[in-house]
Amino acid sequence: MAPREAARLLAQTQADARRSLDFRAPWVSLVAAVVALAGFGIVWLNVRNQHPFTGPSPASLVFFYGLIALRIASVIYAYARARAGISGHSVKVQRNEAAAMGAALVVWYVVLIAIAGSAHRSAGFYWSLGLNGTLIALAAIWAGRSAIHKNWQDVALAVAVALIAAVGAIAGPRGMWLVNGAGLCVLLLTTGAIGKWQRRGPRIHTARTGA
Amino acid sequence: MTAEALDPLIHVPARLQIMATLATLPDGDELSFKRLQDMLELTAGNLITHLRKLEEAGYLETSKTGSGPASRTSVALTRDGRHALDTYATTLRGLLNGV
Repeated sequence: MAPREAARLLAQTQADARRSLDFRAPWVSLVAAVVALAGFGIVWLNVRNQHPFTGPSPASLVFFYGLIALRIASVIYAYARARAGISGHSVKVQRNEAAAMGAALVVWYVVLIAIAGSAHRSAGFYWSLGLNGTLIALAAIWAGRSAIHKNWQDVALAVAVALIAAVGAIAGPRGMWLVNGAGLCVLLLTTGAIGKWQRRGPRIHTARTGA
Repeated sequence: MTAEALDPLIHVPARLQIMATLATLPDGDELSFKRLQDMLELTAGNLITHLRKLEEAGYLETSKTGSGPASRTSVALTRDGRHALDTYATTLRGLLNGV
């Protein structure tokens, strides 16, 4: 094997392996973008003419959370597929992080429901806190975790999510659904396009006879 | 510097691919034999032969869990293996720059 051929084989094999083991495939970002646009969009259509704001209808919330569940399912499927056969330290760490994040979200929603139950403020305040507050908190945790792992691309993505949620909070209880939906959709499509660009390059197919 | 400076144990297409694939995993992680076979599209017999040679050199280690049909063999690069691949890549770059 000539050195140039060996260098090509080394580079392509590593690129193929990274592509195969990475669960963040472009289609996962595409599903997330559609979920964001459709989920937030349907709630926005439901609340945009409410004066005063009373909150989304149960039907639009069922649709919204149904799409969120679809998003979670798509991530779990992509993760299970890409990480099949891998075991060891990083897998345990990722599982613990996911469990901690899930538990924190449950606790946050319980606290939120308790706060809303006391009902000292308008419905718009609680919805803004529940939506934009959750997004900003998740983005902050994600940015911190990514910074620890020196994954600066994910740090930038998390900061962008937090900024969109902050603009959503400024937009008010009706406009925040549109701002978050459109903003996250554009961000996720951009992320998917960058991921596709990073995954480009010829695939290598080895002969079954090996060496 | 000539191509003979390259580690002959790694400088075989199938073994280079095995090493390169395992090197993409973080330290402390291992890959199942079945997944590695699927990724490299090698026959089981061929893969076992190459893994054995790399294991004998101390470049990788295999571990087996369970027994019978439910048993699972996993493969991981050792510290020496990662170092050997780094040295191989550095030598390769040197050769190409000298061409």
